[in-house]
Order: sequence, then structure tokens, then C-alpha cells
Amino acid sequence: MADRRRRPRRAVLALGCLALACLAIPARAAPLDRAAFAAALCGDAAAQVRGAEGLVQAGGALPADDLARAGRLLGALAERRLSCTAEGAVLLDRPGAPEGRDAVTDAVRPAAEARAPVLGLRQRAAIETARGVVALLTGPDPAARAAGLAVLERRIAAVPEAVLDRARDAETDAALRGTIAGLAQAAALSSPDPARRLGAIGAVAASPSGTARARLATLKGDPAYAADPAFRAAVDAGLAKVSRAVAIGDGLAVVYNGLSFASILFMAAAGLAIIFGLMGVINLAQGEFIMLGAYATYGVQEVFRQFAPALLDLYLVAAIPVAFGAVALVGIVVEALILRHLYRRPLMSLLATWAVSLFLVNLIRVTVGTQNLQFAMPAYVSGGVPLYADFVVTWNRLFAIGFAAATLVLTLLILRRTPLGLDIRAVTQNRDMAACLGLPTRRVDRLAFGLGSGLAGLAGVALCPIYSVNPGMGSGFIVDSFMVVVLGGVGSLIGTLVAALGVGGANVLIEPISGAVAAKVIVLVGIILFLQRRPEGLFAVRRRR
Amino acid sequence: MSGALQTALPSSTGPATRALRDPLVAGLVGLCLAAAAALLVAPPAPYLVNAVGQLAAFAILAVSLDLVWGYLGILSLGHGLFFAIGGYVCAMHLLAHGVAATGVLPDFVQFMGWKSLPAYWAGLDHAAYAFVLALALAGLVAFVFGLASFRSRVNGVYFSIISQALVYVAMLLMYRNDTGLGGNNGMTGFPLLFGWPMGAPGVATGLAVATLLALAAVLAGARLLVGSALGRRMLACRDDETRLRTLGYSTTRLKLGIWCLSAMIAALAGILYVPQVGIINPRVLAPDLSIEIAVWVAIGGLGRLGGAVIGAILVNGLKFWLSAAMPEAWPFILSGLVLLVVLVLPNGLLDLPGLRLRPTWLRAAR
Repeated sequence: MADRRRRPRRAVLALGCLALACLAIPARAAPLDRAAFAAALCGDAAAQVRGAEGLVQAGGALPADDLARAGRLLGALAERRLSCTAEGAVLLDRPGAPEGRDAVTDAVRPAAEARAPVLGLRQRAAIETARGVVALLTGPDPAARAAGLAVLERRIAAVPEAVLDRARDAETDAALRGTIAGLAQAAALSSPDPARRLGAIGAVAASPSGTARARLATLKGDPAYAADPAFRAAVDAGLAKVSRAVAIGDGLAVVYNGLSFASILFMAAAGLAIIFGLMGVINLAQGEFIMLGAYATYGVQEVFRQFAPALLDLYLVAAIPVAFGAVALVGIVVEALILRHLYRRPLMSLLATWAVSLFLVNLIRVTVGTQNLQFAMPAYVSGGVPLYADFVVTWNRLFAIGFAAATLVLTLLILRRTPLGLDIRAVTQNRDMAACLGLPTRRVDRLAFGLGSGLAGLAGVALCPIYSVNPGMGSGFIVDSFMVVVLGGVGSLIGTLVAALGVGGANVLIEPISGAVAAKVIVLVGIILFLQRRPEGLFAVRRRR
Repeated sequence: MSGALQTALPSSTGPATRALRDPLVAGLVGLCLAAAAALLVAPPAPYLVNAVGQLAAFAILAVSLDLVWGYLGILSLGHGLFFAIGGYVCAMHLLAHGVAATGVLPDFVQFMGWKSLPAYWAGLDHAAYAFVLALALAGLVAFVFGLASFRSRVNGVYFSIISQALVYVAMLLMYRNDTGLGGNNGMTGFPLLFGWPMGAPGVATGLAVATLLALAAVLAGARLLVGSALGRRMLACRDDETRLRTLGYSTTRLKLGIWCLSAMIAALAGILYVPQVGIINPRVLAPDLSIEIAVWVAIGGLGRLGGAVIGAILVNGLKFWLSAAMPEAWPFILSGLVLLVVLVLPNGLLDLPGLRLRPTWLRAAR
């Protein structure tokens, strides 16, 4: 009863101490007065709150071992392992143990008949906050520190800037550091000090992102926005700056996504374009060749896992020649067994390649299974780097883009600079004349079919880090890549590239406006309409038949 | 007469041009009529009745594709679109009919949160209007697509893959719930047919008989068409379009007309198919199904109406049987069958009786 009557006065006292602590402690960076702290925790309710809040305020400047000790005491208090004897506080191993260590000197002391303080709601909240500060500053791993941060987030107004700054500067985990910085900004934005608020607005505007924009936009509803012209000007200027930067970042992201989608389309369509241009054969199994490339990659990964686990990260690189070779071989076999007989009947070759695709899908389904394959993601295709505003360059997409660019260069080199390329171009332009000049056109066909199939296998490698790999994955590409081939113009690799960029870009541009399906529909209908005007596509190779 | 006709046309056209009397087609028409009569007199087990009806619907679909592929050389890989148009309009009619009779809205309409059927369903509870609408819609879509394609001389493989893109686009559209025709789940739960409860005895038999009669009529009509002067022009267009155009015929008009007719026959097949299976969903628009139609025709015998019917019935009969008996093996059998036909029997299984044991690729070397 007596305690309760005295509380208002003590609360005023505590507030006074708190204000004093605010001003004094960060400047002096004094170590913790351990005895006083232990005594405060053993004191009455107000003293406990005062002790905890004092620790919170001083947390930004205290040495780490002081913080750790204070954390142990607070933890013991919360778990009823803190026993208060006449000589001072004693830490017990478990609640009700007969003896423990002295809170200040660590000497073993009996704790019989001692009082273990019981915490009320208010003390508990203050102590939780203090423990959160300790965990954030001294937690051994990011998970512990993140847990401390989560506690602080609920009572962010009570946490001084110095604590968050220190935590941010000391943080080694990049994601957690970002969270801490964001929280510090939020705390500063809602602080009662106008100068600190203006500074915070400037800081938020300096690192633009979608969340920064949302954060600034909520300030428009703040009473100070209507009352304080300087504040309003700062918010408006900051918001305009952030909005502009976010728009640019989003634009870059669209371009980047369009580019990565286009490179996948290009990879899928390049082989198709070579085959179609040379032989007039639409290879409906091209999607399944891509799938085979992905499964070959999986096979390489498993081999690495089995025989060279240390080099596992290199499996994607090692898979490149394997996938190319394996799928090219499959292509050559298909050509030799089936397509060779169908060159004069292109419509029948459509059905034949469809039968091949049906066969391959079900072969994989029966032998490997229908589930999605699990790939180990090497460091160079996981994560990304934030470049500007919300625009993050993800490594897996960059991998696909780089892969497609390398494939383009290599394929162009093969077509333009090698004897095989010369033969392929000759047969594409005029098959009969090339045959008359002594070119073995059938052999050229076979090699070109192998090259086109191998390119599909490469596309399979590039897809592994991005798409889910399962037996049915090929059917998703087939219509899109046909449209790219037809739009680009038969037999023109550059046309295929331009068409892939156009289709990929258009898809990504339309998608935010009307949804993914509608984007696909609009693009396909657009291509169909375009082909009515120019049936030979964008870049038609001049040829005679 | 028949000999003269055959020498006048390129020899590759084969038996299709031989005579106006085609014993195979006549036999199939007779078989259809006989089967219809048998179903009426002594109906077998319900599942068998249903299977016969579905096979007949597929046969109609195959004939519609054979008309454009076998006789005009236009391979459509998008005929599932017209089949689906017929099917969807038929399903809409059945649902609208059910709403008019019972007042209970279909599930998907309730799911979308609508209070009544959308305005464009008005009048669909009248069977005659729905029937005409289905055929007209299929014809219209075919006309627009065909006009654009044939006028700019899109043909061959190009036409095939563009028609495939068309059916793919339609599939994507129908998979969206917002499109409003049941989305992903499609439309099912048809309560009534012409006022009869769907499950009533005799409804399945009636549908199967109607489909068989429709097949007989389509076969006979198609036979008359390909045997007429117009039919000979179709073959000429298939074998050398440039020459026919040089001779003063409008090949665009010819192709467009037959193309629209074929689309409407495919829609008819869809109309007859949906009440028998009791469901329509966007899977009928999958490009694979449209390719399968071409596979039926190729297996049965391209460019012969009887071949299309036999191919559709054979492949689908096998599929009914095998996809239940050994579902793993069916895709392998189908792909093997396709490769066999494509490589060894260029005119389909109808080649079998007169098969010379010299592989085609040796003969093709000439």
C-alpha cells in the first residue's frame, strides 16, 4: 500500500533521471555502474523501470561486456532467477536455487531466504525493451540480433538514435543492417524534435525506394505538415525526389526484366530459326530439347555432387558443353532416323517432331519422374545487388542475359566465320545450286540440325536457375518461340534477336497494365496481325526456291 | 471417266479423285445409319453408348480437318478453337436452359459474384438460336482469320503455326476467370437437355444417335463436295495453287469458303460432343489436342474422307481403352503410331492393304 502511494513522486523522479541520462550519458560514454544497476533491479517497481530505461538510454555508449552483464541480470530478473539479499543481488542457475553468484563480483554466495522480485506489466515492458537493446547490440548471431530488433520495433519511440546507429554500424548481416537503418529512419521521422525530423526526411530522400516513398507520403497526414511550412517544403521536395528516382528505378527494372525474358526467348528460338531457315522444318520438339538440356544440367550436378562435392558450384559451367553435346546428339539422331525422310513433306515433319516431343516428355516422365528438379544454386546465380532505388540486378537473370549474349556471338561466329557456317548459309539461300556446286547438303542439314538442337540444350542450361524444371516445361516455350522465329524472318539470326527483344519487351511493358495473360494475348495477336502485312517477317533472307 | 480424271490431275492425289462413288464413304455412312438403328432398337451398356457418341463426334471433327488439309493442303493446328466454340456455346445453351427452367444459377456465375447471367447470354436458352450462333461464331472467326491469312498468301507451315498460336491465345484467354465462361474449371453440371433431365434414360442414346446421323450427313455432304467440280478445284489448289490462280480462279475465295465450312463442321462436332461428356473447359483449346486431330487424319489416311473417320475412331478407341488399361504406355504407342504412319505409310493406314514392301524413302528418291 505504501509503495503505491509513493509511486507518482517516484515516477517524476524517474523521468528526471531519464532526461538527465539522455543528455549526459551518450556524451560521456561512461561504463555502467554495475552495483547501482543491480541495486536498481532489486529495488521497487519504479527503481526497476528506471534502471531498465537508463540502460536503454545509455545503451549506445556502453562497453560490450557491461551490456552483456546487464543483459544477464535482466534475463535473470525476467526469469525469476534474480535473488535480492541484504548484501546485494545474486544470480541463480534456476529459480529457487539455494546459492548463486553475486551480480557484481561473481563470487558464490548463498541466497537462502532471499527475495525474488516479481514483475508487473509496466516493469516487464521496460525490461523487455532493455533486453531487446542488449540482444541487438551484443547478440551472437543475426537471428538473435533480429529478435532483439523485433522487440524494439514495437516501442521504437523509446529507443534512442545512438543505440540504432551503433547497432547499424556494427551489424555484419547486410539484410539486418538494412532493416535497422529503416527502423532508425522511421524512428527519426516520428521524433518530436523538428530538426531531427528534417534531417531524417533528407536522409530518407537520399536513398530512394518504394518504402521510402510510402514513408514520406504518410508524413503528409502529419499535423506538422499543415502547421509548419518548412516541414511541408521538406516533405514535398523529398517526396518529389524519391518519386522521380523510384520511377527511374522501376523503368530500369522493366527494361532488365524485358531483357532477361527476351534472352530466354532468343535462346529458345535461335536453334529453331536455324533449322527452319535451312530445312523449312518446324521442330515441334524444340521445347523438349530445351527440357533435355535442363535435365542434362541436372545430371552434371548430380555427378559433381557424387564425385566432387567441393566443386559443386562449377556444375553450371561444366554443364554447358555437356548439355550442348548431348542434345545435339539427340537432334542428329532424330534427323537421321526421321526427318531425313520428310524434307519434301514439311507438314508431315510437323507431326513427326510432335511425336518425338510426346515421346521425349513421357520418356523423362517415366524414367526421372514428374516432380520439379531441385538445383543447388551456386553463389554466382543467387541473390543480386541493388543498383538504384528499387531496381535490383539479380544474378540469375544476369546469368541468362550474359549466356544469351555469348550464345549469340558464338552462333554468329559459327555461321559467319566457319566452313560449316558458310555451307549452312549457302544451302539456306539456294539448296539446289549449293548441291550442284558439290556441297553435301544432307550432311549440312544434319550438322545444322545438331547445331540448332544444341542451342536448345544451352537454353536449358540458362533456364535452370530461373524456371522450374520438369518434363512438361518445354511446352511453355514452343508457341512463343515460333512466334519469335516467324516474326524475325526465317533464317535470320539477327531477325530472331530483334523479334525476341521486341516480344520480350512488349510482354513486360504490357504486363503491369493488363496482367500477364492479357499481355501474352495482346502480343500474340499483334504478331498474327503483323504477319498478315509482312508474311516473311521482319528480316527476310533473300533466297530462291 | 474416272481414268481420264485421274490423268488430268497430278498422280499424287490418289484414290480420292477416282470416282464420285466411294465405296469406303458409302460403307461408313451405311455403318453409321446401321449403328444408329442398332442403338435405338437394342441399346447396349450406357458407357458404350456414350463412347460411340463421342467417337462419332471426333470423327466429324476429323472430317472437318481432312476437308482443309487433305483436299486444300491447309494444315490447321488450331481446329480445336472451332470445336471449342461449338462446345462453349452449347454449354452456355445448356446452362441458360437450366436457369430458365429451374432458376438456379450455375456455380461459376455464383463464384464470380454475379446476380444473373451476363447480358450476352440473352436468348441462349433457345436451342435453335444457340445452334445458329455457334455455327455463325465459328464461321465468323474462321472468316476473319482466314481472310487475313489467305489474302496475304500465308500458307504451308506458316499457316499451321499461326493457327496454333491462335488456339493457344484462346486457351490463355479462357483460362482466366475474368473472361467469364467458367475460367479454369470450365462449365459443367448441365441439368437439362430439351427439358429432359440429363441423366434420364434415352438421353445418352438420343445424343449418340443424333451424332451418328450428323456424322453420316457430314460424310455424305463432304463426299458430294469433293466429288463436285468445286472439289476438283480444291485438289488443283492443293497441288498447284499458283497455276490455278493463273488460270483465273480466285483461290483466296475458294480456300476461304472451304475453310469457313470446315470450321462450322468442327463447331458442329463440338456442339454434339459437350452434352455427351457433360463438361467443357479450356483444355480442349490446348495446342496438343489440335495437333492430335491432325494425327487422327494422318493415321487414318490424309485426303480421304473415310480415312479421317477411321483414323479418329481408331486412335480415340485405342485411347479410351489404353489410357485406362495402361496409361503409361499410351503416349509411347501414339508417338510410335505417328512415326510409323509418317515414315512408312504416307497415306495413312488405308495404305496398308496395298502396301508394297519397299520403304517410301526409297521410292521418294526419284
